[in-house]
Amino acid sequence: STGDSWGIFTFLCAALCNLPALPALNCSEELGAGQSIQQTYDLTRYLEHQLRTLAGTYLNYLGPPFNEPDFNPPRLARAERVPSATVDLDLWRGLTDNARLAANYRAYSRLLCYLRVLDGQVGTAELRHRLAHFCASLQGLVLSIGGVMSSLGYPLPAGPAGPPAPPGAPAAPNDFLKKMDDFWLLKELQTWLWRSAKDFNRLKKKVPPAVVTLRLEARGF
Amino acid sequence: MFSRWNWVACGFCLVLNICSPDASGGLVQSCGHIIPESPVLALGSNFTALCILNESCLDFGNIYASQIIWKIKNRLVPKEQYREINRTVSSVTFNDTSSLATPLTCNILADGQIEQNIYGITVTVGLAPEKPKNLSCIVHQLLRFRYVMTCTWNPGRHTFLDTQFRLRYRWPEEIFPDCIPKDVNNSCTITDIQFFVNTEIWVEATNALGKAKSDPLVVDPIDIVKPLPPQNVSISSGILPTVLQLCWVNWISDAMMTLKFNIRYRIVGDTNWMEVPSEDTASPRTSFSVQGLRPYTEYIFSIRCMKEDGVGYWSDWSEEKTGITTEDQPSKGPPIWRIIDTSHSPAFWTVHLIWKALKPFEANGVILQYEVTVRDKSSLSSPVKKYNVTGTNHTLQLREGTYEVSLIARNSVGASPPSVLLIPASNSKAPVKNLRTLPKHDKLWVGWTAPNSYVLKYVIEWCLVSSSSDCIIEWQIALGDVQGIDLKGIKPFKCYLITVYPLYADGQGSGQSVKAYLKQDRPSKGPTVQTKKVGKAEAVLTWNHLTVEEQNGFIRNYTILYKTIDGNETVVTVDPSKTEYTLSSLTSDTLYTVRMMASTDNGSRTGPDFTFTTQKFGKGEIEAIVVPVCLAFLLIVLLGVLFCFNKRDLIKKHIWPIVPDPSKSNIAQWSPQVPAKHNFSSKDQMYPEGSFTDVSVVEIEADDKKSFSEQDLKPFDLLKKEKSTSEGHSSGIGGSSCMSSPRQSVSDSDEGETTQNTSSTVQYSTVVLNGYRDQTPVQVFSRSESTQPLLDSEERSEDHAGGADSTAQRQQYFRQNGGQDETNTDRPCFERTKQITHANEGDLVGFVQLQISGQSSQPLGLGMEKNTQEAAVSNVLQTCTEGQTVRPETVGENPLSVDEMPKSYLPQTVRQGGYMPQ
Repeated sequence: STGDSWGIFTFLCAALCNLPALPALNCSEELGAGQSIQQTYDLTRYLEHQLRTLAGTYLNYLGPPFNEPDFNPPRLARAERVPSATVDLDLWRGLTDNARLAANYRAYSRLLCYLRVLDGQVGTAELRHRLAHFCASLQGLVLSIGGVMSSLGYPLPAGPAGPPAPPGAPAAPNDFLKKMDDFWLLKELQTWLWRSAKDFNRLKKKVPPAVVTLRLEARGF
Repeated sequence: MFSRWNWVACGFCLVLNICSPDASGGLVQSCGHIIPESPVLALGSNFTALCILNESCLDFGNIYASQIIWKIKNRLVPKEQYREINRTVSSVTFNDTSSLATPLTCNILADGQIEQNIYGITVTVGLAPEKPKNLSCIVHQLLRFRYVMTCTWNPGRHTFLDTQFRLRYRWPEEIFPDCIPKDVNNSCTITDIQFFVNTEIWVEATNALGKAKSDPLVVDPIDIVKPLPPQNVSISSGILPTVLQLCWVNWISDAMMTLKFNIRYRIVGDTNWMEVPSEDTASPRTSFSVQGLRPYTEYIFSIRCMKEDGVGYWSDWSEEKTGITTEDQPSKGPPIWRIIDTSHSPAFWTVHLIWKALKPFEANGVILQYEVTVRDKSSLSSPVKKYNVTGTNHTLQLREGTYEVSLIARNSVGASPPSVLLIPASNSKAPVKNLRTLPKHDKLWVGWTAPNSYVLKYVIEWCLVSSSSDCIIEWQIALGDVQGIDLKGIKPFKCYLITVYPLYADGQGSGQSVKAYLKQDRPSKGPTVQTKKVGKAEAVLTWNHLTVEEQNGFIRNYTILYKTIDGNETVVTVDPSKTEYTLSSLTSDTLYTVRMMASTDNGSRTGPDFTFTTQKFGKGEIEAIVVPVCLAFLLIVLLGVLFCFNKRDLIKKHIWPIVPDPSKSNIAQWSPQVPAKHNFSSKDQMYPEGSFTDVSVVEIEADDKKSFSEQDLKPFDLLKKEKSTSEGHSSGIGGSSCMSSPRQSVSDSDEGETTQNTSSTVQYSTVVLNGYRDQTPVQVFSRSESTQPLLDSEERSEDHAGGADSTAQRQQYFRQNGGQDETNTDRPCFERTKQITHANEGDLVGFVQLQISGQSSQPLGLGMEKNTQEAAVSNVLQTCTEGQTVRPETVGENPLSVDEMPKSYLPQTVRQGGYMPQ
């Protein structure tokens, strides 16, 4: 009987030792989806926060009337180049996750291009540095969204992958209009980030890490 | 034009060829070269080099590969490593590159002996880089929006080669510029980092021998942030005295990351930090109320933060800020004690109330004043006295009795509960038992056994015992349930007197005291010993006790060490209470060295040496020798004297023959001159005025007139003649001391005296002098009262010289004489001059002795010695027929004896013949 109990004990020990090995590997891999959604959400929030201060600084740099709180110019036709987030909210919510993610991905890719142009024109080093940093972060967001999409099994939208070429042709005929472009760029960015944060928050709730794990695990086996 | 330039160029080329140090491009063309050129070799690998000779040289100087020798620096490479590949190529092989050095040269032995260098290469030996390990990164927050990521790694072994490290990082589709470390090879700081995106970070090490890449680290930089500590920490006191509120500003916005906090605090002056429970501060915030603090206490606060989910690093602690809680009323009354001074009179006490200031955490504020209330318990009628005191002591003058003193401390908020001290009339209650001490590191533990009854508290008094100053009492109160406390501030090597009093609800126990040391040392000096008394075999040593300051501990014993110069040391241990010790069994007349050692538990110290020499003779030894010797000597002397005395006559005959007394002859001459007026009358009347003169005259006559020799008479005669003019004559015979008296008397009697009287006086004194040959005058003089009767008697004797009187008659004269002495019939004369009286006395005895001398020499020889005289007289008396007792010492003083004396004499003189022999 002693031998038996020893045998059971050894078996239990072995089982305990082996227990973490396989599932752990699986988990760490699949936990990535939920984690990347959370991370993307955090990044969106962070960019939102960054942009709030950056926009203030930049609008001050542009000078009045752009830095006036109630400055609300009409959206010019030429500003249409910048992807607009002014889609009806219900319509937007009606989209699939994939579509929304893809729209985000595309929008930020385009916005990033404009932003990089903006970066090259800024006079002060401090602002340039902050803009550069913001650009890098935004680039990270694009990557993150891509990561989320891939982790959820969605294909990346075709289009300008990587830094698309800046829209050719002299964009602004005069300085004021150029400033207006910049203004709208920042404004659109804010809107997009605000909406993205909501999207990812919803997605985060929709795909809790544990569920994701289980599903993926089931699929994997 | 062109040709000219060409020439110039050619010339330049020539110069270059000549001057170039390059072996291959020298003026003298190199004869060969080595392959490989400047290799970098892995340490420990093998290596083969080839030396290839130029064909031209072969032709020129008959040089072949077989002549090649290889050298490392100046060391020849062994031939076994060479290999001749063909006529022009020689190879050398090294199995281990570690034996290589720079330069490696290929040389040739031209003409057999002359060594010529062909070519040389530089060899570099090193190692390929190892894979960098332990890569870790941390994001430091420098400013609100400025973060840098510093990664560190272990670069691995030293490669001996120039190795470049670069930190690389990337996103899945974006590669960032490499971070190249400056001056170090194990860390690099990336200045622009992006959060919330997983970043792959790795390190690459590259050198000539290879390239190595660390394992990649994939991390979201937000998870490795070390934020800046909260800033602008401010502290404000709350409503409660136990609460302080902290406010601060965070450097990181919640949008980036939420924070949790740690708050630590300590009392100013304390070093131990306390921490607010971390779960209370685990959520984002910018303020916190710290509770449970002590009132009126200054606290130091510090705060730190980290990402709320605990991933990442804690920030440093913020700068320390201080805050003070508000005051509260004192939490307890001050400990109080008293010292009662009854030195003035036992009935009136001077009570010094002393109390200790409350500790800050008890005072809870600034104590503004103390209120002392004294209640006389012995008489209820006496009023309660109150005193407001700002110090921590108060002195009261109280009549002996039982008092209750209560003390309240007051601060700006309120008053403390009262501390009550009962001062009983006497400390009659049970004391503590078994008081003891035990040193504990720097503290002294005092322990005791509680008395049987319930004790409220104990008061422990202690003071440093000093020989020079009074004990300054320190004290402490212990609760009734403890049986020991630690005394702090006790100095080592000092004697402390510790007293414990138990305080009961209704009285106080008497104090028990104990002396203690925290730490003992050996005495700081040894006792100075000296001798009090040194004898032959023993010595009494004395010393003084060491003072308390010198003792440094309890003196357990004294040790006396003594020795002779060459002898062994003897050790004696002495009780510490003694200050004297007697060394015994010493050798006499020996030099001893003695010293003394005082010992405590922790060692001993010896005092100065003292030397002494024992005496040669013991006490009484000298006396034992000297006294018998002296006694023996005295005995001998006495015996000698006795012998001499016994044989006096014999000796006298030989040495000091008796010179006939001239006065006797004088008497014979001058006594007839004076008419014996009283002679007849005295005969008829019971000799009322009888004198010695009469006696002597009678004697002389009675003895024998014939016996009066001329010799005897002559001196009298001479005296008679010369008396008034010169004393020189008499001085020749008698003592000069006697002479002065007669002369004085002469001068005295000159006044108002008849010449006859004067002359008779002078004559008389002369007689005395003569008679005094052997005797002191004083006694002689003491007897006489008047000269006149003497003269009378002499005259009378002259008168009776012719007829022989019966012995009875003579007896009567004597008796009469004594009677005269007593009655003092001749008083006028006596009163007139004392000197004369003395002279008469002298005369009297002189006469008596004259008579005696005739019979026996004994009385005369002893002169004035009473005893001898007495003996002599008694001897004489024994022979006396009447057998009457005579007291010779009373001669002239006791009338009775004087009466008797002549009686006793007479028979003797008669029988023996008085003067006859002379």
